[in-house]
Amino acid sequence: MEYKVIMPILSDTMDKGKIVKWLVKVGDYVKKDSPVVEVESDKATMQIEAGVEGVVKKILASVGEEVPVKTPIAIIDTEQKAAKIEESKPQTQTQPQTQPKEEKKETVVNIDEILNEIISSPKAVSGSASPAAKKKAAEYGINIEELQKKKEIPKPAHLKDIDEMVIKKYFTPKAARLIKEYSLDINDFKLDHKIRSEEVLNYIKQNNIPKITKLTPNKIAVIKNVQNSIKKPTFLIFEKINITKKEGIKLTAQIIKALALAMQKNPLTRSVLKDDKLLTYPASNISVAVNRDDGLYMCVIKNAEDKTLEEINEWLKEIKTKRLTIEDLSGSTFGISNLGMFGIERFTALINDKDAGIGAFGKMNEGEIKVTFTIDHRILNGVEAAKFVNDFKKEIQNV
Amino acid sequence: MLYREALNKAIDESMAADESVVILGEDVGRYGGSYRVSEGLFSKYGEKRVIDTPIAELSIVGNAIGMAIAGLRPIAEIMTANFSLLAMDQIINHAAKFRYMSGGKMTIPLTIRMPGGVSRQLAAQHSENYETLYSSIPGLIVLTASNATYAYYGLKEAVFLNDPVVFLEHELLYPMDMEFKEIKNFDPFKAEIVKEGKDLTIITYLKMRYDVLEAEKELKKAGIDAEIIDLNSLRPLDIETIANSIKKTKKCVIVEEDHKTGGMGAEIAAQIQEHCFYDLDVPVLRIAGEDVPIPYNRKLELLSIPTPDKIVKKILEWKAKNGI
Repeated sequence: MEYKVIMPILSDTMDKGKIVKWLVKVGDYVKKDSPVVEVESDKATMQIEAGVEGVVKKILASVGEEVPVKTPIAIIDTEQKAAKIEESKPQTQTQPQTQPKEEKKETVVNIDEILNEIISSPKAVSGSASPAAKKKAAEYGINIEELQKKKEIPKPAHLKDIDEMVIKKYFTPKAARLIKEYSLDINDFKLDHKIRSEEVLNYIKQNNIPKITKLTPNKIAVIKNVQNSIKKPTFLIFEKINITKKEGIKLTAQIIKALALAMQKNPLTRSVLKDDKLLTYPASNISVAVNRDDGLYMCVIKNAEDKTLEEINEWLKEIKTKRLTIEDLSGSTFGISNLGMFGIERFTALINDKDAGIGAFGKMNEGEIKVTFTIDHRILNGVEAAKFVNDFKKEIQNV
Repeated sequence: MLYREALNKAIDESMAADESVVILGEDVGRYGGSYRVSEGLFSKYGEKRVIDTPIAELSIVGNAIGMAIAGLRPIAEIMTANFSLLAMDQIINHAAKFRYMSGGKMTIPLTIRMPGGVSRQLAAQHSENYETLYSSIPGLIVLTASNATYAYYGLKEAVFLNDPVVFLEHELLYPMDMEFKEIKNFDPFKAEIVKEGKDLTIITYLKMRYDVLEAEKELKKAGIDAEIIDLNSLRPLDIETIANSIKKTKKCVIVEEDHKTGGMGAEIAAQIQEHCFYDLDVPVLRIAGEDVPIPYNRKLELLSIPTPDKIVKKILEWKAKNGI
């Protein structure tokens, strides 16, 4: 039987997943829990398991491709498993590859496969350089023969080889890097001397040329999240809270704990909307805005009501650097964001994902913190929110 | 708009605009044309202007030439391009040459429409277009319509040109629903840049346009930004558009359904090296039909012509082989 491995839904907001790396190839034997592919969602990179035992028959998506969720990305032949187990025990690598070779004919074009095949075969072309390469070399005074003798460029040489040499000839390595980074045209420079990075930087500044950075999947996810958030009908509650800082414990940990306890008394803050239903969860799962080296993430602390201050404190430390999984990023119903440590007095935050609301915390001033709650009006009304905020104010004095 | 509807519209409007426009061919009248191109014209214009002929290609073209000499603008339909071989003497020896033989006193404002190409299992004797053959004859104009827009504007232009035009259509295109674009200052001899790109130029025409567009999606995944040119006119050939593109991309691939040896691609490749040899960074690649009579068996039929996956594979192989 053929089993289709599909692009899974790794998070509520995910509609596409990017293939990062195939961990198997056509003909490989896989167990039910063998990882077959690495997939990048809008939130994190995950390994996807085969789901069944069998032999990989087809790979339907190539590396770098963005595939909509629920779309098949590979086919596993479950019929072949019995034979394969016996064979694969003594010699795991060589055996499974022989049979499925024939099936390759049926597969759709697999670019990586073709390239690997061809690149490893010897080059069939000869001659010194292409006409275009010769023309450019002559234009820029580059001696193809000499460079080929020194093995600095391949034989035959093509335009890209000459282009590299032109840059090498007229630009310092640092300047060459800038040319690449800013996608500059070398013909905009007077090529009669070795050009240093200062000259390139000057050119960039004078012409106000932007450096182009591709957005990371995380950044794209953040943009999507905040754009969705702005569409929500919200209202704001401005409050001041009194808090006693505990030695060795982060203020954020104290806030999380108090919020978790207040959430236990206010079911609507543990609720999310789904279609025309309200889902109320028992746990106080709180999304916390975490500024990591790889971007801003709304990391979720689970069952914060049952955790001690020390445990929450430890979680806050770990989450800064640990490899995030989907578990770390989903399941919350309320959020917090703290800019107090950056000296910000007061601010408002945008609600994360499906959360019922978010608290934005400013800096501590003589035991007092200014906080703004943004509340999703579809889930909580003013009175309900006021009760929740008052409960939180009480709890924060006790933690 | 359906491809066949675009052709029908072009003929209908030409006939309405000019009484000298007539059509003739096998089953073009009462039956409405074997691919429904002349549907509705018989009842609208009558049997004197929409003429059903016997199954005799030589006489269809011969009669049409006579009409053209006498002042009409006939559109002759040959049921499938393979049958035009029977009319070859009239097309090559007469239509293409009268203007020259008469010192310019006679003109032949004749359009010969021919469906052709590899369709679905029509086998060796019904699967060709002979575009290379006609494109090698001085005195003929050869146009190929790959889409509804060109089918409409191109055919209208062809009807009102004073020289004989071989107007090639592809059998698989007739039922296709296509986007129709309005064009001002239409030039039938100008190639269309279907998609702009910077990494390589793919030249194609007729039905292969769609196979190339399909292949382009895969090429994009491999990081190749291809420019696609649809020739529209094979004679004259718009070498200017081709050369300008190659000046930019430095690499050229020609995709044609016709047999490779002595095919259109051979002529185009020769003209490319005449016009822009020093812009080429790699030898021109021809992806063409195999040098075999087109097989009847569907699997063999597909093996004998370029398909999207074959186009992708050949381009990637060619790039790797040449080290680019």
